[in-house]
Amino acid sequence: MMILSIDTAGRSDAIGLIDGRRVLADFVGDVTHNSLQGIIMNIDAVLSNAGLTLADVDGLGVGIGPGSWTGVRVGITVGKMMAYATGKPLCGVSSLDALASQAGDASTLICSVVDAGRGNIYAGFYRRRGGVTVKQGQYTAGPVEGLVARIREPVLFVGDAAQVHRQTISALLGDLARFMKAGEERQGSATALLALSRLERGESDDALSLVPLYLKEPLVQALAARKR
Amino acid sequence: MLVLGIETSCDETAAALVADGHILSNVVASQMDLHASFGGVVPEVAARKHVEVIGYVINEALGSAGKALEDVEAIAVTSRYGLIGCLVVGVAAAKALAYTLKRPLVGIHHIEGHIFANILSNPHIPMPHVCLTVSGGHTMLVYVKDLCQYEVLGNTLDDAAGEAFDKVAKFLGLGFPGGPVIDRLAAQGDRTAYNFPRPLRRSGTVDFSFSGLKTAVVNRFKGSDISTLPVSDIAASFQEAVVEHLVSKTVEAASRADVSAIGVTGGVAMNSRLREVFAERCRQEGHQLFFTRTDLCGDNAAMVAAAGAARLAHGESADLYLSAIPNAPLESAA
Repeated sequence: MMILSIDTAGRSDAIGLIDGRRVLADFVGDVTHNSLQGIIMNIDAVLSNAGLTLADVDGLGVGIGPGSWTGVRVGITVGKMMAYATGKPLCGVSSLDALASQAGDASTLICSVVDAGRGNIYAGFYRRRGGVTVKQGQYTAGPVEGLVARIREPVLFVGDAAQVHRQTISALLGDLARFMKAGEERQGSATALLALSRLERGESDDALSLVPLYLKEPLVQALAARKR
Repeated sequence: MLVLGIETSCDETAAALVADGHILSNVVASQMDLHASFGGVVPEVAARKHVEVIGYVINEALGSAGKALEDVEAIAVTSRYGLIGCLVVGVAAAKALAYTLKRPLVGIHHIEGHIFANILSNPHIPMPHVCLTVSGGHTMLVYVKDLCQYEVLGNTLDDAAGEAFDKVAKFLGLGFPGGPVIDRLAAQGDRTAYNFPRPLRRSGTVDFSFSGLKTAVVNRFKGSDISTLPVSDIAASFQEAVVEHLVSKTVEAASRADVSAIGVTGGVAMNSRLREVFAERCRQEGHQLFFTRTDLCGDNAAMVAAAGAARLAHGESADLYLSAIPNAPLESAA
């Protein structure tokens, strides 16, 4: 089964292409704040480098965030419209889950981290159980210090936002914190593989109704809720 | 040529099918109620709504026209002028569809869209003409030389006219949006009750300014108990000042450009007093007047599809690197 994936929630856009469990392409874009401009031609390059077209793809995986609000809307909208126009199945994949799945066979707690701006992060905790990466509890959003304060055991951080906040994390956790090497992330293929797993379980998302996972309300709504 | 138009530049998610000047469908999912509680459009709230409903809106535009996606021959999208986070959703959708269906793509300036709402409403409007495009997001006088050929004659120096309606309505406790409610109240009020300033009367330009006028209203009644104020008279007097400002500058622009035809388009073009005064003044001055039909005054995608068809007929199209530009000038290419 051929899966094309898109994740534009992170600092760099990721596009993946897999044939079953075999990774055909793992594209990582430049660090840019304009996912919109290059997304289609990057997808086209990934497909044509593999000698394929969109018609050859059996399913679409799309990163639903959390991450950049405008960024994630680009990838999810592109994924939705491609699925709508082709009738191919679409699977939304949490960007934090896709990050965590890249930690390999870590025996410790895994923490995937995405930057949320202004010293804040989005994070998820995971453990490996029987060869699968299993989420522990809810995702969190907030200051990096608040997240780290909850950790009492060795932990492997995944995601380039962990690198961005590495100093703060190391200062608070010392030897408990390990970091996946920068540049080792394969967000594109990881998103595609998780989408494939969902499709194999008979799951998929509706191309018209799929929405991003924001984890945070717009400031104005948060303020309004506080007033109430 | 069957063109799918997509428009998400502000708080309406819209898709439409237009074929050779005929509107086959025109679907607008308004977010008005969503933003009313905030007293104005909140960009992030709007962008979230766009991504939530865009697929449904496109699907309905096709369904209500009895067309399949494969029937679409080109895709036009508002890519310039508007809220960046909102524009991005429409452009991403349009690009994905253009790529998947292998159809030409064209990016449209939002103001050009409103000009085409007027052309769709009045297919025989003479060229050249002067077009006033006026809404909650812009107030602009454009010399329309010919299809897709523009020169901006005047612009607002501060707020848009519709924004002034919103702010005055908010001050008077009338809610959001302000245009329709002020129009309704003004019909029962005395428009000579208060003499609010007529902005830029001796500026020698055909630009607009509404910020001072709004402040004049607020300052005049600041500290008063709103419930005791003659709100209808205030609404009528304020509206009269806005309308006179819009009409006098537009007529002045037409005279300077030496054209006899005037088009009026955009959300504020729905205002009943604006329609009345324009008709009166154009009759006196011997100008031909062309208002956009009311169902095309607000943001919609039929106007975007129509503009797209015209651009494509001129041999213009965008490549798949098309991006969203929030503050692009009108004259820029497709």
